Amino acid sequence: MASFTLGKYLPYNSLIHKMDPRAKIIVMMLLLCAIFIPAGFIGYGILVVIVTSIVLVSKLNLKFVVNSMKPMMFMLVFLLIINILVIKTGPILFSLFSLDIYLDAIMQTFYIAIRLLLMIMITTCLTATTKPLELTLGIEDLLKPLKVVKVPAHEIAMMISIALRFIPTLIEETERIMKAQASRGVDLQEGKIKEKIGGILSLIVPLFVSSFQRAEELAFAMEARGYSPGEIRTRYKQLHMKYGDYLAIVFGVLLNIVMLTLSMVF
Amino acid sequence: MSIEFKKIDYTYSVNTPFQFVALKQIDLNIEMNKVTAIIGATGSGKSTLVQHLNGLILPTSGQLIVNDFVINANVKVRNLKSLRKNVGLVFQFPEYQLFEESIIKDIAFGPKNFGVPEDEANKIAKASLKLVGLDESYLEKSPLDLSGGQKRRVAIAGILAMEPDVLVLDEPTAGLDPQGAKQMMELFKKLNTVHNKTVLLVTHDMEHVYNYCDNVVVMKKGEVFLNSSVNTFFENTTYLDELNILAPNIIRLKNMLKNHNIDVSGCDDIHSICDKIVKELK
Amino acid sequence: MKIIDAKNIDFSYDEITHAVKSVSFSVERGSYTTIIGHNGSGKSTIAKLLIGLLPCDSGSIHIDGLELSLSNLAKIRNKVGIVFQNPDNQFIGATVRDDIAFGLENHRIDSNLMDDIINEFAIKVNMFEYLDSEPTKLSGGQKQRVAIAGALAMNPEIIIFDESTSMLDPQGKNEINNFIQELHKEKDLTILSITHDIEEVCKSDNVIVMFEGKILMEGKPCDILNQTEKLVACNLDIPFAQKVVNELRLKGISISDNLTLESLVSEICLLSLKK
Repeated sequence: MASFTLGKYLPYNSLIHKMDPRAKIIVMMLLLCAIFIPAGFIGYGILVVIVTSIVLVSKLNLKFVVNSMKPMMFMLVFLLIINILVIKTGPILFSLFSLDIYLDAIMQTFYIAIRLLLMIMITTCLTATTKPLELTLGIEDLLKPLKVVKVPAHEIAMMISIALRFIPTLIEETERIMKAQASRGVDLQEGKIKEKIGGILSLIVPLFVSSFQRAEELAFAMEARGYSPGEIRTRYKQLHMKYGDYLAIVFGVLLNIVMLTLSMVF
Repeated sequence: MSIEFKKIDYTYSVNTPFQFVALKQIDLNIEMNKVTAIIGATGSGKSTLVQHLNGLILPTSGQLIVNDFVINANVKVRNLKSLRKNVGLVFQFPEYQLFEESIIKDIAFGPKNFGVPEDEANKIAKASLKLVGLDESYLEKSPLDLSGGQKRRVAIAGILAMEPDVLVLDEPTAGLDPQGAKQMMELFKKLNTVHNKTVLLVTHDMEHVYNYCDNVVVMKKGEVFLNSSVNTFFENTTYLDELNILAPNIIRLKNMLKNHNIDVSGCDDIHSICDKIVKELK
Repeated sequence: MKIIDAKNIDFSYDEITHAVKSVSFSVERGSYTTIIGHNGSGKSTIAKLLIGLLPCDSGSIHIDGLELSLSNLAKIRNKVGIVFQNPDNQFIGATVRDDIAFGLENHRIDSNLMDDIINEFAIKVNMFEYLDSEPTKLSGGQKQRVAIAGALAMNPEIIIFDESTSMLDPQGKNEINNFIQELHKEKDLTILSITHDIEEVCKSDNVIVMFEGKILMEGKPCDILNQTEKLVACNLDIPFAQKVVNELRLKGISISDNLTLESLVSEICLLSLKK
């Protein structure tokens, strides 16, 4: 399970690492918006260049990011087949066993692949350069205006940070229970379906029982240390927006305008 | 019948940045039909070592022999399941592996996985529950309604129901009160003497090692530091000092008396030591 | 002066489990009190009642003269810190630093003051080098030290240890036990420790023995730990030295009660000189 790298924080020292998490989240949202504006080849060209440079500035390994696309390959091939069968517009490229392949089908698939790649690059960039705790603080701050409509921003952020904190603990626990049940003859690889279902139950039930117990103990510990949901608290980690952060947001907005213009021109 | 580790290495997460050598060149013979304690500091490789015994972890290099099973590193192992039936492994805090709605079903889960028919499995389950000291009135209860100590007994019964020749336990008394721990250790001793099981247990408690075990394997930084009889181990205080282990009370008392020129050699329980003291005082 | 005063407290989890049955006890300011009892004797429940994590069914609890009630809860929790059994389930922050800060945030300490407080208590529990470590990188003993720092950072009058060493290896146990002894030297802090460790009990000022939800005995360790029959009847251990004393008495030697091997052996030597 140590190979679980997608979405993991990588502690380098880069400009992007130093950005305010709030600015990073906003810029990420803006970039994601830009991706979905159909601005043709030139638009995607610009985006690929920008996103690639962001990844490089973050000191992330480009190969590592692209590699995280691999699990998507199957889906993309599947999509290509569907597109070939469904999309019948544009010039015919060539025929394969009396099946006409249209240019638009190929282009559609290509666009989707590019969008997926860009999305993964952008989100990886965010999670790899921002500590989970800072990310939750950022989300909390950005959700604050929604307090007016009774969105419990702080409680949501607390839940996310506790969930993040307990992921490694729960992975460890799962491994332990799997091994314990394997010692009792549970075999999830081979064996009949009925046995497999029994085997999965033997993992899930103990995991639930122990998670509930953990949750109860954690709640006691939090309460004993004076936590009370809804109460005002101070905050240890203070976030500070700098010039660069504002600049990045402005840049993100500009990018969207450029994309919109491009999409209208073409 | 034997348990032999031959030049076994084990490395976690090979070829990743997290690579970690847990066991180095383990050569070890475990005496059958004895109670063997495995001790050592946290992170010394005890848990990794015992998980080899039923094939949960396969060696990176070397050879492991458990009864008729031979496991060679990098060779696909056949019949892992029957090895697991032969070596019952009880993890730390085993009460967390209970999941069925009734105790009898939970105990019968193991044998059924190994192909024992239902009514036969239920029969074994009843016998196993009795073996761990709980009566038949518990059979239909939910395992989740029991006290901590009772849950642990039921979990151990679930392993015993597989009728293994070798029973391996990882810190079986952790978190129990002194009385519960004592009863637990007496159970393992009984399983060894009455039911002829080979028992291996990972422990930190030197009183338990001294009072209930025959042999001791000391792990240190992924290597076997020592494999000897319990008496030899505790007689030699240099080992204890080197390992930073506080000797069991009896040994400490004997050493203190010896330093004051009261001869208590050859005494290994409280009664015989007191007899010597009485002689000295009268 | 009494800092904890519990009168006739009663608590049931449900119809069947009557965990605490009309228990009364008090604890002196600055003292070090241990509570022992078999698993399920109600000792951990008492800890939770004392800081209002569970409400008493009846009876009253006064902490530092203040009655425990819903309106006083926050004030009481300012005075009482607690360290629980499971090191993993009380580590809330992403790093040691954030975990110590968690309590400070709840108590609305100004964020500019937090770094100094965090550093001070991290140094106190000897975890300064680990301030930015995540919990998965720490041993059980280290996590418990962080929990202690988190509790001490609130400046409590009382600190409760609820079987805080029972899940640790011998090294971790030693670390925490030694630290508790250190804390005891601070004159104003009151320590209440729930434990199975009979050796720890020997070092405390007072001991309370619980059995099936009731207090069976209380007093100085030397007056309690020699009552072999009573202790054995409630499934408890007695110190090894006392076992030897009992055995010697059976064999007709007159010898006084001893809690430690050191004092026992020196008494035996004295006796052998006198013969």
